[in-house]
Amino acid sequence: MLTYEPGSSIAHRLDPRSKLAVQIGIALAAFSHTTPRGLSFVTVLTGCILAVAALSPLAALQEIRYALPFLVAGPLLSMIVLRPPWLAPPAAIRPALASYRVLLVLLVSVAYVRTTRVRESRAAIQLVVPGRVGRLLGVGVSLVFRFLPVLIADLSRARVAMRARLGTERRLIDRMRIVATTGVRRAFGRADRLGTALRARCFAWNPTLPTLQLAPRDVPFLLLAVALITWSFV
Amino acid sequence: MTEPSRERTAEDEGNTRGTDVELVGDAVTINVARAALFAALIGAFSYVSFPNPVSPTPVTLQVLGVFLAGIFLGPIWGGTACVLYIVAGILGAPVFAGGAAGFGVLVGPTAGYLWSMPVAAFTVGMVVHGGFTPSDPKSNGPIRLVSAMVAGTVLIYATGVIGMMFTLDLALSEAFITGAVVLVPAEVLKIAAAVGIVRSDAITAS
Repeated sequence: MLTYEPGSSIAHRLDPRSKLAVQIGIALAAFSHTTPRGLSFVTVLTGCILAVAALSPLAALQEIRYALPFLVAGPLLSMIVLRPPWLAPPAAIRPALASYRVLLVLLVSVAYVRTTRVRESRAAIQLVVPGRVGRLLGVGVSLVFRFLPVLIADLSRARVAMRARLGTERRLIDRMRIVATTGVRRAFGRADRLGTALRARCFAWNPTLPTLQLAPRDVPFLLLAVALITWSFV
Repeated sequence: MTEPSRERTAEDEGNTRGTDVELVGDAVTINVARAALFAALIGAFSYVSFPNPVSPTPVTLQVLGVFLAGIFLGPIWGGTACVLYIVAGILGAPVFAGGAAGFGVLVGPTAGYLWSMPVAAFTVGMVVHGGFTPSDPKSNGPIRLVSAMVAGTVLIYATGVIGMMFTLDLALSEAFITGAVVLVPAEVLKIAAAVGIVRSDAITAS
């Protein structure tokens, strides 16, 4: 499970806004310069970003393993032709480059998630998205973080209970229905209790958040982001 | 004599600032709570996988969560739940398929599916409730429920396949095989399960 981990790397001390800007810059650069030369430059940058986050490339790859089958399947499928000689490796070059650029962007986002506290991300959202929409997003997102493990536990208890009653012998539709019904019922129950608790505690549109401040160490990263974004439009 | 009165003034100012707190209305509060819990539920559904009878890819229940958000919360708050799900994922909640998180997923191979979720929940909600105001989903016939979810499925998979064509630079047929053919059969089961959930008496809140 990919989550924040406390640490003392440079990336941990950066402002979340400069980290988000670098991510956007890397993604735009990788998508606009999907050539061997462009991507080798982005690869070097990705390596530097992982180093700044004190994250080994293997550990980062481990976190994005879910996407690897998709990234490999694309180029493999493109290689297959329906006539002899059946395989045309040159056809796989463009999809392979496309898969590789996605891999780089995913690695950079692992570095962000590993090094950024939720509270800081929430404050960044509320600065980026102004007004009530931003506040609603901020509150909602922190509630999702709070309740995700609780609901995962609810669902796994439902599955254990189903298994104990030989529910695994039932049809797939019934199993999905039973687990999802429990999930929705628990989610509604928890939401109603949470709503009451929020009202009792005077849930307001203007809560106090940690103040974010750009420091001198953010400057090179912001400049990098600006350079990458400019490069992607050239 | 002047000292205490100055103190009182400062205290009064504090109280005045206290009254500036802008409370969120009751209806919005409960809807925010429900949207956030549904967003967390869609995320929790990505951890529940069942063996797929027709393909080696296991079935997860995220899409079912999107349908149920539209059905139970209505178009506006169902769509909001999906937006919260995506934003929480970008900021690091491990809610995407396989416990993934981060901005990269939004331009990754499954990007199209994720982007379409808010629109799909909105569409399902609009068809089921016939407008922006949520009604009792149980009052709808199964045909309306099924057609709402079929529309949602078409939307999610069409966007998913287009997303795959763009991010992985695949031709339409290749993206269709990778991103839809092996996954769509399981959606039929999810639609059937969703109809069962809505029409059962187990869920009373709406």
